[in-house]
Formats: sequence, structure tokens, C-alpha cells
Amino acid sequence: MTDHPVQLENITKRYGAFTAVKDLTFSVAKGEIYGFLGPNGAGKTTTLRMMLDIVRPSEGRICVLGSNSAISVRRRIGYLPEERGLYRKMKAAQSIAYFAQLRGLSGRDAKKKAYALLEEFGLEDFARSKNEALSKGMAQKVQLLATIAHEPELLILDEPFSGLDPINQQTLEKLIADQRASGRTIIFSTHVMQHAERLCDRFLIIAEGEKRFEGTLSEARARYGQRLHVRSTAPAAAFEVLPGVEAVRLERNGGEESDYRIELADGADPQDFLRQAVAAGIVLTRFEQAGATLHDIFVDLAGDEASAPAHDQERAFARGAEAAE
Amino acid sequence: MKQVLLIALREYKQYVLSRGFLIFLLMFPVSLVAVTAAMGLVERNKPVRAFVVYDETGQYADDIDREIERRYRFGAIRAWDDYVGAAVADGAEALPEPFAPAQVNDARLKAFEAAGGFEAARQAAAPLLREGAPDFELPRQQFERVKTDALLQGVTSLEDAEEVLRPYLLGERDVMRAEGATTPLFAAVMVPRDFGEGDEAAAAQYWSRNLTDNALEDLVGNALTSALKRQAIADMGLSEEALDDVAAISAPFNSYRPDRAAEDAQLSLKDRVETGLPAALTYMLLVIIFGVGNLLLTNTIEERSNKIVEILLSSVTAEQLMMGKLIGIAAVGLTMPAIFLFGGLAASATISSAGDSFMGAAIGTLFGSPLLLIYLFYFFCAYAIFAMIFLAIGAVSNSLQDAQSYMGPVMILVFAPLPFMIMVFQNPNGFIATLLTWIPIYTPYAVMMRAAADPPLWEVLGATALMLAFAALLARFMGRIFRNAILQASPPKAREVWRLARREGV
Repeated sequence: MTDHPVQLENITKRYGAFTAVKDLTFSVAKGEIYGFLGPNGAGKTTTLRMMLDIVRPSEGRICVLGSNSAISVRRRIGYLPEERGLYRKMKAAQSIAYFAQLRGLSGRDAKKKAYALLEEFGLEDFARSKNEALSKGMAQKVQLLATIAHEPELLILDEPFSGLDPINQQTLEKLIADQRASGRTIIFSTHVMQHAERLCDRFLIIAEGEKRFEGTLSEARARYGQRLHVRSTAPAAAFEVLPGVEAVRLERNGGEESDYRIELADGADPQDFLRQAVAAGIVLTRFEQAGATLHDIFVDLAGDEASAPAHDQERAFARGAEAAE
Repeated sequence: MKQVLLIALREYKQYVLSRGFLIFLLMFPVSLVAVTAAMGLVERNKPVRAFVVYDETGQYADDIDREIERRYRFGAIRAWDDYVGAAVADGAEALPEPFAPAQVNDARLKAFEAAGGFEAARQAAAPLLREGAPDFELPRQQFERVKTDALLQGVTSLEDAEEVLRPYLLGERDVMRAEGATTPLFAAVMVPRDFGEGDEAAAAQYWSRNLTDNALEDLVGNALTSALKRQAIADMGLSEEALDDVAAISAPFNSYRPDRAAEDAQLSLKDRVETGLPAALTYMLLVIIFGVGNLLLTNTIEERSNKIVEILLSSVTAEQLMMGKLIGIAAVGLTMPAIFLFGGLAASATISSAGDSFMGAAIGTLFGSPLLLIYLFYFFCAYAIFAMIFLAIGAVSNSLQDAQSYMGPVMILVFAPLPFMIMVFQNPNGFIATLLTWIPIYTPYAVMMRAAADPPLWEVLGATALMLAFAALLARFMGRIFRNAILQASPPKAREVWRLARREGV
């Protein structure tokens, strides 16, 4: 196995005439947290399912933990799908142990691990409760524990934060960080940028099934240049003529003073801008330097698709079945 | 394989260890015992049905009384047979002949009474009774003819009698029994002056508001018929005893099978059981297939609608998931009959000796012939065919409501052979039997039904091969539907299902 437990090369997935994923290539390094970002219906879940060999790609090559099919290495993978569920009549500890057993643990070890995890996450009192009696947050925790109980090398989490309250989101963030600290590779998909910004070493932005960006947050910011927030009595035109200024956007018109967002060209120095402004007699009452946020980058790259209705992929899946004929 | 077994075990435990299943298992024998006890209790506590006879001829009331007494004695001997069947430790057959359980007829009744009646029977059985066995109690009389002297005083015609008796028959007034208690009048029998045999004679009348309990009606009819026969015999110059002797004659009659050597050819209870048991098993097969099919359906819908299936599919393949479910639910389907079968065996072993009894014959047939193996083989074949269909329906449905549109045609398919099964049973090598044998989805039922009739081997083998090929093809198509549809968030439309069946994989 290489240092990249997950490698996808030129992956395409078509459902009849509809292409859900187009020529996607990326790899995930061992021990990193890799964010898989995209709007609803961008192809995230389809790609994750292809990684797990639940869905077969139409074209391209996938290598997971050194194998061409995740089926043969399933015991080394933990997967938490976006739409999660538990058997209603099963008890919490039984559920964790059952899925751990399916992923290779012996009955005794699975049971032991289930109780240990429930204790670690403060759910020991609910170990013998039926899943139908658990709150939504508790049930989600149980599902997550079932994903990690067999101590997988690779964790694939599809929208793990969805439906969790802020406290449980924090717990999950910590769990993901802990998993990485113990050497695991983690891929998680999300469209909540704050989590990705806080957790991911690298991320990939996908929209309409196509890769729009792959890299670190600094790389993304560098690509999007410097951004300044200034407050001044001067009109926008006064800034537009300064060297290195690419765009000026009025953020707030305060009557006497206005707030502007200044986009600088690649390589332009904010200090040069400040000097030029002072030399031009512009009075600045605010000068703030800021890089592009992941949210800005995401909106910019995903564009209109970011606000597209949910489950396009699913509809395409059904449509594809028809179109395949 | 471990994953398949884990899934099968979970499916099995989910149903077999469920409270509902355990309660059912417990309740079934308990309710059987309760129903039997209740029936006994009802029989023992049945109120004596009082009736009156208005006989313008003055001849037939005694005949009716005699028939009541005769039937009571028959009932008493049957009760005796049941008693010794349960109370005698080493088999009631050890008792001397009139007291050992046997067919109850006039001849036995005569022999029973000639041997000393119930007093002698009790003495004969005493050394053979189980420890703690209760004493034998004679059953209660069911009918009592109420004297009409006071009731119908002054009545001179059937019409008057009818007028007088109507309020009693409608329950507005009670009659007085011999012991002094009052009771509602159950029925009235009226025998007209010109009652007798022949077209010219008037008919006797039976009046009662109770149209469902026809025991008394039947008894009175028999009594009057016997009386007319007696008169006819007397007219011919013969005695009444001669008529009784003639009535007690029962022709010795045996049935034989031509496919057996002479010494084994006589038809026995075992042969009857061997013929009837496959039919019973076939109906059981139908019920089980329907039952477990529904389990599979609801279970798959639950996994699909609760979104468990994707987690499962990240741990096992779709094929392993299907196989695990099929094995688990098949085991559920076999558990219930197995429990009842072995429970029945255990019960029969403790209650009575196997000997020549029905249970003994059933046990001998089931375990002493290939019937059980044939049953298991065709159970799995029928199960494989229908389970795959139910599984596929579950995979394309998010709710039972979604499944309903598919279930209608499937139910017709499952139960379509039901009306024809009686024809197959009566003519196991006839056209309908042959036709059903060659329709793959009905092959298991038809072959099971014909198992005791030695159908042509080539036909059984050919139809079975066709059925297996069909099952494999069906499994392929239904498996594709399962794989392709199970992960779809919204269930496919009915017209898309065929397309899913043709696609190799998602």
C-alpha cells in the first residue's frame, strides 16, 4: 500500500444519460482529514459509495487501502452514511456489537468494545435501551460508535454533522480529531464550511459531479488573492485607480463614511495599497486585511449549484435507470 | 460466509425471540388445552334440553325415549373410551374387549352391557389406571321429555297444541322438569293422527327456535324412522329383537391396494395417513410461504425506510445481505412447524402409546418415509421462488402502502393453486395435477400433494429441473431489482422495475 489509502483516477459515473460524477481524480494521504465539500446533489455520496464499491464506477480506477475493491478490505473501513438508521427493536450495545461483528470482530470482542465505547461517550446507562427509545442525538452517537467500534484504518463519514446539536457537533469534532491523532485516515463530506475549515488538512470541492478544487485552505486562499476591508469618506472610484486593485465592492453605504471590500490582484502587497491610498489623500478610518473564507471559496466554486435543491443525485439515479434503456 | 450467518442469525432472533412470537408459542398449546377444557366444560354443563311430545297416535313417545336412552349409552361408552385412553398407563388396548376403546355401535353396546356395564368396566380398568387417575364419571343426560299432562290438558288438535306451546317455545314461559325445576322449552314434537309410512301419511312436526343445534331434531327423526321400521317388521311377522339384531349387523369390509403384495395389500390407518399427510403438509407449506414472505417484505421495507441498508452494504455485499435474510427467515418459517411437530410428538408420547393410533401412524409416516425430506426440499424450492419476489417488492417499497400495489398480483399467484389442490388430492395423476406440476411456481405444491400417489418419476424429475432453472432465473432478476433499488431514496415506479431487473448492477 502506498502512503495514499484512497486513490481515485478519472472516475466517471453515469446513470443512463445523466452523468453524476465526471472524470474525478484525487487521492487522500495516510493520516489526514480530507474534506469532501459540495452542494447537495454534487456527487459526494455517489463518490463515497463508489469508494466503498457499493456503486460501481462507469469509468476510471479506484484503489482503497491497496485494493481495487473496497469489498476485500471492508473490515478496515468504517462508513457512516448520510442517511442513517438503526434497527428500532435492537438495543444500543447490541447494535454497535452487531455492526462491529459484521466488520470482522469476534462476538465477545464486539460486545466488550460496544460497552467500552458507550461508557467512553457517556451512554453506558442506555446500553440496554432499545434504539427506538433513544433521542435522535443519542441514536446518531450510537451509529457513529458502530462505525468506529472495529477500529478501522480508514473512516468515511458522509455528512456526519447533519442533524446534530452544537454540543454533539463539538463532541463529533473531537472524536474525528482523536481518530486522526491515533493514525486513522478520515474522509468526510459536508456542506457546512466551518467544520471543514476547523478540521480538514485538505479538501476537495465538487459541483455538478466535477472537481472544482483540491488542496489546503492556504492554497485556496492564495488562489483567491488578498482581500481588504476599509472604511472611508472617499468614493469607490478613488480606490479603483490605485495600482494592484482588482475590484472594489461597496459593502455598506453609511452616508458620510462607507465600507468597501477591496480585492487585490495576485501578488499585490496590502502595505503598498495603504501607502498609495495615503499618498492619494484618502482618509481611512478602518483598514483590515482578510483572506477568502472557505465559505467564499465554496460559493464561488460551486456557484449556483450551491443553492440547488437537495437529492438531485437521487432523482438522477432513478432517472438514470430509465435513461439507461 | 460468517457475515451471511450473522445476518441470518439476527433476522432469526429478531422474530423468534420477539415477545409476540414467544407469546404465540406459549399461547398456542395453552389455548389448545384451554379450548379442549372449555369444550369439555361446556359439554358437561350443557343445560338439559327439555322438549315435549304431542302425539295424537299415542304410540311414538316411548320410541323417542328409547332413542334418547340409546344415544346416551353410546355417548357414555365414547366417554369411557376417552377416559381409559388417558387414564390407563400402558395402553387402553390391554383392557378386555368390550371395555377397550373401539368403534361404538349397537353390537358393542350390547356386548358392553352383557359384560356388566360400567361397574364391570371400572373393575377391569382399576389395576391398569395411572397413579392419581380420576374416577370415571358418567356424562349427563342431554335431553328430557317433559310430561305434557298438565300443559296440554284439554288440547284436542295439533293447531291447539301449537297455540298452547308457542309462548313456551318463544321463551315467554318455562316448563317444569321431572325434578321440579323450571326450564325453557327447547323443542316440541307433534305427531299427527295419520302419521305413518307412505305418501298418503302426514308428517311429524318438529318445532324449535334453535336452528343450529339439530341433535334433538336428528334424534327424533331417527326414533320415528326406527318406530316405523319396527311396525313394518311386525307387519311382516318378525319380532322387534329381530330388527335390532339386523340393525346391529355390520358388513365386514376391507380395502386393498393393488400396488402391494397380497399380505401387505390391506389398507390400514397408516396408509390413510400416508395419503392425507402430504396434503396437510402442502397446505401448511402455502401458509408458511405466505407468512414468511410477509416477514421478509416488512423486514426489507424497515431496513430500506430506516436507512439501515447502506450501513449493511458497507459491511457486506448485496448478495450476502440477501442470502443472510433468506436463510434467517427460512429458519423462522421452519421453526414454528418444527416446534409444533416435536411438541406434538412429545405430547403424544406422554398421553398415549404410539401403537396403531393416528399419531403413531403420522409419526411413522413422517419419519419412516422420505416424506419429510421431500417436504424440506420443496419447502426450500417454494420458499426460494416466493421469497425472492417478496424481497424484491420490499426493495422497491418505502412503506407497506407502496408494497400493496405489487402484493395483489403476488397474492393471486401464491394462492391460485388453492382451489385446484382438492382436485390434485382426489386425482393425483390426473390432468390438473400434471398441469400444476409443470408450472414452476406450483411444482413444489403439486409434487408434495402427489407424493403418496407415485407420480411418474420422469415427470417429477423434469418438472423439478424446470422449477430449479426457473428459480435460478428468477433469483437473478429479483436479485438485480434488490441490488438496484435498495439504495434509491425514492422507490422506483412500477414501470421502472422491469428496467431495474435487466440492469446488471448499480
